[in-house]
Amino acid sequence: MSRIAASLVAIVIIAVVCWLFPLFYVVPLKTATAEKTAATFNATQFAENFWTNQLLVSLDKAVPAEKLLPAIQSDAAAAKKKFSRSVGLSENYFYFLRGEGKIIFVSDDEISLAITENSTNAEIVLETGLVFGDAVRDGTGLLNANDYANSQDFNDISAALNHIVETRVLPKLREQAKVGAKISFVGCAEVDDEPTDLKPLKVIPIQTEIQ
Amino acid sequence: MKTKWLKLALAVLMATAAILFTQTSFAQSAPKEKIAVVVSTLNNPWFVVLGETAKARAIELGYDATIFDSQNDTAKEAANFENIIASGYKAILFNPTDANGSIANVEKAKAAGIPVFCIDREINSTNAATCQMLSDSYAGCVKLGQYFVKTVGKDGEYAELLGIVGDNNTWNRSKGFHSVVDRFPGLKMVAQQSGEFDRAKGLEVMESILQAHPDIKAVFCGNDSMAMGAYQALVAAGKDKQVKVFGFDGADDVVKSIAEGKIVATGMQFPKTMARKSAEFADEYIKGKHDFPQKVPVPVELVTQENVGKYGDYGKKQ
Repeated sequence: MSRIAASLVAIVIIAVVCWLFPLFYVVPLKTATAEKTAATFNATQFAENFWTNQLLVSLDKAVPAEKLLPAIQSDAAAAKKKFSRSVGLSENYFYFLRGEGKIIFVSDDEISLAITENSTNAEIVLETGLVFGDAVRDGTGLLNANDYANSQDFNDISAALNHIVETRVLPKLREQAKVGAKISFVGCAEVDDEPTDLKPLKVIPIQTEIQ
Repeated sequence: MKTKWLKLALAVLMATAAILFTQTSFAQSAPKEKIAVVVSTLNNPWFVVLGETAKARAIELGYDATIFDSQNDTAKEAANFENIIASGYKAILFNPTDANGSIANVEKAKAAGIPVFCIDREINSTNAATCQMLSDSYAGCVKLGQYFVKTVGKDGEYAELLGIVGDNNTWNRSKGFHSVVDRFPGLKMVAQQSGEFDRAKGLEVMESILQAHPDIKAVFCGNDSMAMGAYQALVAAGKDKQVKVFGFDGADDVVKSIAEGKIVATGMQFPKTMARKSAEFADEYIKGKHDFPQKVPVPVELVTQENVGKYGDYGKKQ
């Protein structure tokens, strides 16, 4: 009898302990999936917030093209030092610039602009094809790799920002661009190879307006 | 009187000489401070260059340096760290085996007051290592992807050999490549398998892919060891002219193969630059500088048959 009582007491104690400190939880599959998704970095959502709340309100920080182009023309190294930014040990660098110009040529992937008054040369090329690389993410200096524990997240931001440019900026620009029209723009340029990338400067547009 | 002064001067001279001699002898006999170089594997020439360069630079800077091989095994890496912490090393130049699995080792070293400088491979933490010097694999593979489309064309089947699945570089390379290639719906990836960054495994995986997909036009490999293995499999199958091989690393044998027209392109990382710079950072840390950027991206350059003459010896020719 005493053995039965002892066993019962032990079972009760174990039951109480398990109640207080459960060995496992049963979580509905839907909830578990939702929690896992929430814990995963959402680059698309991040890029959307960044675009609206940080990038579009910082466009006035872009260097004016009428200042940058003559500076590059007279001394590319000095212009790089004064106006560009680069990442890590990279020799590539970025310009974040804005300006106004006249459209002088339109192709499937490019819109060429003359910036200087009475110029007929392409001084800026707005890239309107597929957008690759990190110019939009790294060109403004608003985002920093040190803030991301996993570089995959940081790289996903780049792809998401490029997607926003392709879907939100470029279709309207391609539709409205006509030779002779005046255009204002803000964008980022990556300079990898100076002889080909500086003359003309190739810019990925972030915001454009055709007058 | 004169003799007295001469004796005194001689005594002072001898005392000074004795002090100088003692100090010099002490400095000569004082043990050098030690820097550890922990490398994920020495079974890959690229990592051998990384480790040896880091060690050589540390020695140039006046330290004793030792290389520890983790053999791509997090447990061996942990044992290496225990040993290093117990042996009084002043800094660790670290090429991790696993982005998540290696964090605990770095944290242990940090708790023991030993700064860790990651080289080439990342750990998924921004407050464990003192600094992480990382190849910009994603941007490098964006360039490779663009060159892939240019040379292979916008249509056709291709395969991908991934690296170690737990390593961030594997996915940064794959994602960079796919951020370009996936935009061309005519390019169809028919196989994607891990070759674990290993030449023999790359050969084996390529052989099985060729059996299932004999018509592929190209293979993108997440590193050069796998690219060499894949090329070997293609030669054995008589398909080396049909299938274009793309690698990543800038290993010497692949750069030579590009020059010989065997492999199409690779991404040149700069292991010597990263290794040297990390050793210099460790030296600066030991001498008192403690503010380093957490991540320092190092650019990757595209090496093709058009520009291969500019590259060699794990970098750009001077």
